[in-house]
Amino acid sequence: MMLDLFKRMARAPVFDAAGLGTRLVARPAPAGCLLPPGAVGVAVDAGGHTRRIAAGGRLGLTEAESGWCFHPGPYQCELVPFAAAPEIGLRLHFAIDSPDPRMTQQRFDLFLASEAAGDLAPEALAARIEAALQRELAQGNLELPPCTTLDEWNAFRAGFNQLLYTRFGVTVDDCVPVDLAGTRDYARELAARAHAAAAPVAVSAPLVAAAPPVPAPDVADPARADARALRRLFLELPCVMCRVRQAALPQGQDLFRQQQALIQRLDLVCLAASSMPALALAAPGQPLDPDNQLRRARHSLRAAEALDEAWALLARFERAEDEGLELLFDEAERIVANLEAELAARKRVLAEEDA
Amino acid sequence: MNAPVFKRPETVSVRSRLQDGGFVTVTATRRPRGGRADVKCSAPGAPQLAARMAQVARLARHTEARYDSRDQVVIGMDRVPGAQERDWELAVVLADRAVRGLIVLPADAVANGWSEDWQRGRIEGHAVTDLPPAALRGGPGNLHHLGALHGQPDAAVSVSSARAWFPLHSGGINDSLCWVEVSVYPLAPGEAAGEDAIAAPGLDGVRQQAVRQALLGARDFDGAASARWRTTVRFGQDGLHGNSYELALVLADRLARGREFVPRGRIIASGASSAWHAGLVEAVEGLGPKCALIEREAQAGDRVLLPRAWEAQLPPGLLDALRSKGASLACVERIGII
Repeated sequence: MMLDLFKRMARAPVFDAAGLGTRLVARPAPAGCLLPPGAVGVAVDAGGHTRRIAAGGRLGLTEAESGWCFHPGPYQCELVPFAAAPEIGLRLHFAIDSPDPRMTQQRFDLFLASEAAGDLAPEALAARIEAALQRELAQGNLELPPCTTLDEWNAFRAGFNQLLYTRFGVTVDDCVPVDLAGTRDYARELAARAHAAAAPVAVSAPLVAAAPPVPAPDVADPARADARALRRLFLELPCVMCRVRQAALPQGQDLFRQQQALIQRLDLVCLAASSMPALALAAPGQPLDPDNQLRRARHSLRAAEALDEAWALLARFERAEDEGLELLFDEAERIVANLEAELAARKRVLAEEDA
Repeated sequence: MNAPVFKRPETVSVRSRLQDGGFVTVTATRRPRGGRADVKCSAPGAPQLAARMAQVARLARHTEARYDSRDQVVIGMDRVPGAQERDWELAVVLADRAVRGLIVLPADAVANGWSEDWQRGRIEGHAVTDLPPAALRGGPGNLHHLGALHGQPDAAVSVSSARAWFPLHSGGINDSLCWVEVSVYPLAPGEAAGEDAIAAPGLDGVRQQAVRQALLGARDFDGAASARWRTTVRFGQDGLHGNSYELALVLADRLARGREFVPRGRIIASGASSAWHAGLVEAVEGLGPKCALIEREAQAGDRVLLPRAWEAQLPPGLLDALRSKGASLACVERIGII
């Protein structure tokens, strides 16, 4: 008996925690390993439910669970809020905070469960943060105009902090505008473009531009991109629905009805996402041609983009005043309509004809 | 954050000049989607042309940040252009955008331009030459990129050019917004930044010197180590007087060099300075008429920048009027970050 126990101890897998907190934010961890000091464990089951295991403990997992280990930070990164202005940026200090006891699931844990694949480097997380920021600025939901005044900056900061907390579960410690001329030379970038333009380029399929900007659209591998997008939809849509129910407290009957209708439609969208036909099959036993597979994968990616917009919208709901609610509900309807349209197109076997 | 809801037009018409001297009118109408296609196009008796119209409209939509699947846009032409003509493409794209409220076009807009690269928002040229003066012309030197409608640089070409607008006060009825465009291209390694590194073709010597002084001063304010750019400055109108264009010029330059936050709409600025190397913005003349003009011309997303010295004397209601249009106003003491 005793011997058995020692054997088990000896077999406890080693977890390589090198770089955690600096070069790495999170890394998959084997069951039973000892969590390094300062790092937090997360157990994720197949349905996306997560639980945290406190620092210093042993990562005990059940059969169906997989383990993650992350370091709360702090981390630092530089963001470019506008792709067209690479020499002006934001320096961001962020950390992954201790769990909020009011939430059943921490947002960062959900992020790990649905989006992380393998090691998560701070650069990869920063790239996602930058993409979320650029989208919000381009849509006008956050404002960072030329010669920003102090009031505008404060409003931006409040919205940005909320966006990062709602979308990624990270807390902003500090965020300041910086001059990136030291690290990025726009003149050299332009010269490189001139150089590239002079060289003959392969003719690109026009629809490639449909893919989302960052995270890198690996439409080169439609099956993988499609699977990842659908996994995100499957795991995150129920959480979004739950948050819509909690977040808005509409005044008056009309908004209440609107909220009810939204939740019902989201419910159907969840159902559509979890009952999606296989990418490579037109019908049972009938393979689908590669062009249509690519088309289906793109629709999944665009649905995942709408999901990103939904998280950003939830962040705006958190900070909304009563008079702004109507606009936000309209935006919510747009996003749900986009989700419905993209998922319906993903289901279709052939491209839609004009009607 | 809580932007007001803007009214979008139900129907928009844009004309395009044809080779034979006539005009084709492109009409876009918005209606609820109802499970139909996002774009539906028609041209009398030319289904292939309609297919190309839909393709152009869809490709150009890839450059938009916000997608709304609830609308169907129906685009139609009143006559069929010649088989080889493609200048109508820009009119289709603009009508499709205007009807969804993304841009605002004047009532009698004429647009000519074609492109092989709509998915990147590029406009490669226009074929018809005898266009009305106010027409939007596609192609290099004119409207080369859809973002250029708001003065933004194309993020994929090697020449970065940006525009900013300034109010031009010339006696009431002729007041208008005039643009200044700054294009920058990197100097070759080892190439010295001589006198001609900043050129303003078409301007007289005195004004060229003033433009040079303002730009060099404002770049000095950045603290960049060495000159890196070959620069060309163009103005939308000849016969400027005064120096109230300077703030717009400096901001367009910063935008072109990738050193300024990018507004969603245009930058509209008025201001001058005797000390650009310190980034200071000083008052200019003509507060009343310029503010009235800006209030009239501003559109959603525009950023209005005025000298701090004007702040106390701004006409009451200007701020609210701009805000209700979706534009924002700031009175600045100096350029740069906060």
